Amino acid sequence: MRPSTTPAGPAGLTLLAATAVAGIILAVHGWSGRHSGLAPGALGTTTSPASATAGPASPARTAAPPGSGRASRRAGSRSAASPAPAGSSPAAGHGPLLSAQPYASYSFRVWPGTPSAAARAALTGLSVKVRRQGSGIAVTASVAGQRAAAPRFYAHGADVYIVEASLGDDSGNSDYSLGDDGLVVTDAQGRILR
Amino acid sequence: MSIGRKHPQARRAAAAAPAAATPASRAGELAAAWAPTAGRVLLGLVLAWFGYHELVQPGLWTGYVPLVASSSALAAVAVLAHGWLLLVLAVALIFGIATRVAAAAAAVLLAEIVISLIAVGGLSDLTMRDVGVFGLAVCLTGQHPQRLVLRR
Repeated sequence: MRPSTTPAGPAGLTLLAATAVAGIILAVHGWSGRHSGLAPGALGTTTSPASATAGPASPARTAAPPGSGRASRRAGSRSAASPAPAGSSPAAGHGPLLSAQPYASYSFRVWPGTPSAAARAALTGLSVKVRRQGSGIAVTASVAGQRAAAPRFYAHGADVYIVEASLGDDSGNSDYSLGDDGLVVTDAQGRILR
Repeated sequence: MSIGRKHPQARRAAAAAPAAATPASRAGELAAAWAPTAGRVLLGLVLAWFGYHELVQPGLWTGYVPLVASSSALAAVAVLAHGWLLLVLAVALIFGIATRVAAAAAAVLLAEIVISLIAVGGLSDLTMRDVGVFGLAVCLTGQHPQRLVLRR
């Protein structure tokens, strides 16, 4: 018995060729912007998956909340998570409102208070530690299983948020794609600390 | 697009069926006729989604490339090539162009994804989900009556 096959006719081949060309154009576009969303010092600049590698951790990015932690999450929009550059000290300036950032809906508060279930899920593969120190807080962020960077200090009243655009890359205790992860610290008014 | 001819086995089954087909048998015939097409198009949509996103934002996917630092240019090139292949295969599957060959290539690609995921992170829910998609691709490499295929 001769197996039935679906032949590729001229129209089909033309369509495939057009797709191939479109794919190349998209690839050029992707290559030119391949570093977008991966600001220096972002969690995403470390090798991943998070639990599979060892080495020095990258400093976390920091930002702030619009007033309260977000419990909701939109799926399938990984590109939105490109938090602001890392905030580092209480003396640093204050940035824009976290609530005005495109990644606000992907930000989950981890401090103060007990992290929500969504925040805990967003922390998969990451290690964020916050402790009171003097008149402020010390924040340490790293990829789980990697050596943590030196803590950063913020004035009392700061809120700490974890940013995770998509949970689809998390499995067990591993985060396979750190490009959509970040850490944001805000002041009491919800402005991102720089 | 043209409607593909009925598969010989399906024709024989239809001929052997009693004149008064029950709803269940009619549903079975409908599923036999359209399920492979539905599976093919849905698999194509999955590949298209991942292919497109790998092409436009390779930086978010380089973490999946084993043995290579995710920040390296090599990882980005690998993701772009992967995305390009996924996109071409997706169009072939969705439009029914050389469907069995495309399904076989997709199966090889998905096997590679499953193996690399296991190598990097071991067995996980992500891995098992991709095993299921791999199974669908393997299924489509078989001989099925295919509808909505581009023969010209």
